Amino acid sequence: MGQGGAAVRALVPCSRGGAGAADTTSAVFGAFQGQTAGHGYFPTGKLHRVEPVLRAKLAPGTLDVLRVSNMIAKLAKTCTLRIRPDKLNFILADKVASGGVSMWCELEQENFFSEFQMEGVSAENNEIYLELTSENLSRALKTAQNARALKIKLTNKHFPCLTVSIELLSVSSSSRIVTHDIPVKVIPRKLWKDLQEPAVPDSDVSIYLPVLKTMKSVVEKMRNISNHLIIEANLNGDLNLKIETEVVCVTTHFKDLGNPPLASENASQARNPEQMAEVHVDIRKLLQFLAGQQVNPTKAVCNIVRNKIVHFDLLHEDVSLQYFIPALS
Amino acid sequence: MLKCGMSGSQVKAPFFFSIVFGKAIQALSRVSDELWLDPSEKGLALRSVNSCRSAYGCVLFSPVFFQHYQWSTSVKMNDSDTISNLNCKLGMKSILPIFKCLNSLERNVENCKIFTRSDNCKVVIQFFCRHGIKRTHNVCFQESQPLQVIFEKSMCSNILMIQPRVLAEAVFLFTSNQEEVTLAVTPQNVCIKSSNEESMDSTSSVYSEMFVGPDEFDFFQIGVDTEITFCFKELKGMLIFSEATHAPISIHFDFPGKPMALSIDDMLLEANFILATLADEPSRASSPQSLCLSQKRTRSDLIRSNSKTGKNVTSKALEHISRKAAPKRLMTPNETLTNISALESCGSPKMKRANGDTSEVPESSVSGTEEVPESPSLRKVKEKR
Repeated sequence: MGQGGAAVRALVPCSRGGAGAADTTSAVFGAFQGQTAGHGYFPTGKLHRVEPVLRAKLAPGTLDVLRVSNMIAKLAKTCTLRIRPDKLNFILADKVASGGVSMWCELEQENFFSEFQMEGVSAENNEIYLELTSENLSRALKTAQNARALKIKLTNKHFPCLTVSIELLSVSSSSRIVTHDIPVKVIPRKLWKDLQEPAVPDSDVSIYLPVLKTMKSVVEKMRNISNHLIIEANLNGDLNLKIETEVVCVTTHFKDLGNPPLASENASQARNPEQMAEVHVDIRKLLQFLAGQQVNPTKAVCNIVRNKIVHFDLLHEDVSLQYFIPALS
Repeated sequence: MLKCGMSGSQVKAPFFFSIVFGKAIQALSRVSDELWLDPSEKGLALRSVNSCRSAYGCVLFSPVFFQHYQWSTSVKMNDSDTISNLNCKLGMKSILPIFKCLNSLERNVENCKIFTRSDNCKVVIQFFCRHGIKRTHNVCFQESQPLQVIFEKSMCSNILMIQPRVLAEAVFLFTSNQEEVTLAVTPQNVCIKSSNEESMDSTSSVYSEMFVGPDEFDFFQIGVDTEITFCFKELKGMLIFSEATHAPISIHFDFPGKPMALSIDDMLLEANFILATLADEPSRASSPQSLCLSQKRTRSDLIRSNSKTGKNVTSKALEHISRKAAPKRLMTPNETLTNISALESCGSPKMKRANGDTSEVPESSVSGTEEVPESPSLRKVKEKR
């Protein structure tokens, strides 16, 4: 299987701040060669000669991308990868299929790439949206753990693919080249509006989360009792996780967690800090979210909108993750 | 009758004998659900053939592998008065759990004894563990003559020898539900990749490939540039075993359609996994028979079992047949259908489509007819007396 299309393989040296010779791990988002007119991967049906282009070199720290892709693979089976000049996003929109859960993960492009060049569908719409199976990407990147060089290209073989090209160091002098072609779906522009950054809701209570590992083990045990979980918190640093059935009631209390500073002065005066705001959620959705957090984040905030939605806002070093779980109706 | 013993673990020995034996069984379990125990003067052979007859595994442990190896034939009182071997077929379900927890075997077992008595159709496996504990397993066996594939490895044009670690890294690339992989070789490099067919059909599976240079191989001989496709599951089975023995794996193969062999040759044992490969059928639009097969592939058939009843002969005459696009070439006038076992590849559904229009060769077990006459393809016959 050769590389499809007349791929422009040359690396344009548009490095930022000097990618030095010591760049041992480098990845290149190569050119995405669009199809000849009429091939129809742009489902709008128009004859497009516009070819989105993406060229980037990953800074040493390819492992971070691997960690992010592992996390995404645990959080969402299928997700959308949105590529913009300054940011990359992994998106799960709140469709019925995901049970109303939505996710927004953001990476600053310059923290991961030493070279990055892309061209979207058009000048005004300088973005690329790809839908892919998350696990395919994380598996492909797993091979790159000891890579000497890593190239990622958008190609079109028989269908659009994200081609991950890895050069591995081997015991002998020759290096081994590994290639993975991950099938992707290019999302047409008319669907982009559903994939925008969700608005952060006006929360009733905002609280810092406890150590996620502890929270996860508590929730795992509760899951055996009931699927209906009540999350409640107040502005005094108290967070409770409650399960109520006919037979038993189990509550885990977390205290002295701390609350992030409130946005407005008026709000803090009006609310009684002891008053709890609660939301009822499906415990399995919370468990899936917690399962995706392999390491404890740099920052973790939980925002509750009474009886509506719970919003988790995490920061893993330089990757931000927002996860929304709707309340049970 | 068979009696042999292995030491469980010897700290100084490079091998942990029971472990290797257990790993052999685990590897063979990937081939099929049945295991033949076939002792002879050459040693104890463990054999397994899958139901489609597209994969065969045999691990032969030489007598020096065992602390004590005793094998004798019992003379059966029957009309022909011939020597009969132990025709012992075990279910994998019975024997695999015994050798499953190899880590605990390593820690606890000091000695292992395996013996049989053909009069009561049982194989007895005894573990002599620490603290004086003795664990005995009685496994019933079925009387069944083992199948054997004779494959002239040395006649293959392409021979590669590689450390199992490198192959394991290649295998790591693929997901566990990958059915088939393709090995493509040229004198410059070797590429292991996802089978083309799968990635073309499905838009959701990842296509992966890895190029390995010639200097990573212990032995590299490429006589003909070729691409062969075979079943991934069986390759993984072989890999499990090779990791236990730390010996390099030899790969012998030729053109697509001809079986390939994965082997390990060591002082103490010899392992051979013979796998069928997909035969490449070029599309010939003009020929009506091949139309339905155009761009489809057929799997070459590996083993024919040909036994003679009437004589209690343990050997099987084995041949391999390539199923060609024109089915009528498969049958020469002298061949009788009843003599040939059906060699359908029943794994991949694509194969079933391909076989749709060929004349089906019916399944048959033992027949009393003579040996099959010449078939158009390569044929090796060997009889063991």
